[in-house]
Amino acid sequence: MNDQDLILWKKLQQKWLSRRSLIRGAAGTAAGAGLLLGSGLRSSVQADDDNCKALSRPIPHITAPPGGHFFFPGPPDGSASSTFPHFPNAGFDPSTITDFKGVIAQADLNFSGTGTDLNTGDSTAYMFHTDWRFFKGTFVGVDGLPHAGTLTFI
Amino acid sequence: MPEGSAEVDLAAGTAELHAENICAVFDAFTVANSLSADRPLGFVSGRIDSVDIKWSGVTKSFMGVHDATNHFLGNFSEIGKVTIAVTATTPKITGHGFRFVSDPATTTVNYALIGSERNGVFFS
Repeated sequence: MNDQDLILWKKLQQKWLSRRSLIRGAAGTAAGAGLLLGSGLRSSVQADDDNCKALSRPIPHITAPPGGHFFFPGPPDGSASSTFPHFPNAGFDPSTITDFKGVIAQADLNFSGTGTDLNTGDSTAYMFHTDWRFFKGTFVGVDGLPHAGTLTFI
Repeated sequence: MPEGSAEVDLAAGTAELHAENICAVFDAFTVANSLSADRPLGFVSGRIDSVDIKWSGVTKSFMGVHDATNHFLGNFSEIGKVTIAVTATTPKITGHGFRFVSDPATTTVNYALIGSERNGVFFS
């Protein structure tokens, strides 16, 4: 891997990290970011780069393990008891981005559905667990400027 | 997210999220694989074909939360009912080939809330 490849690889890793949990699209653009490997990848990523230059900053709090800037779901006043899952890293600020003002929604859910092997066509029941959040309003990005938009945490 | 894809109505105690073709899902398979930085099961290029989440039914309110330690303030409402309809695919080109289609009727809520808040430089 030459220096240029290394730089590109590091940039791609940064995209992965920055989009680990936050996917932002500007108003009027297609949802989400293109990161599918294949012939369409480059154009999707480029399109995303054009519209998603404003990256947000994470909240200061780090929950360890696993080591991430978030609180697990829980009461925002920190009233979770010691028996509450993930106490004491649950509750408090439900936002994962800082320098933000706006509205938020959070849902920690279990649900089931049907999973299908696309190679064989075999289907079976699967359980799924998600912690899904969105933040809609104004945030100060890493560029130091205010931006309006909606971000989601998956 | 595109404008209009997410809405919160604090007075009504409801929220909605709709999105399609989210193509940056690389940490799939298991919760452990998602949370672990070294991705023991590897990266994968999955996508969320579509998702609809609906929040409704306030069960408890937290008005005037002011947390000087974590630098955020706001008004929040715990939500008792949420449904999620999601279809996600790991394309065959990745070497896997899997599609999951949820049954919204099976949704159970571990914890959910909506609210308005300010944090960081907007905390004051």
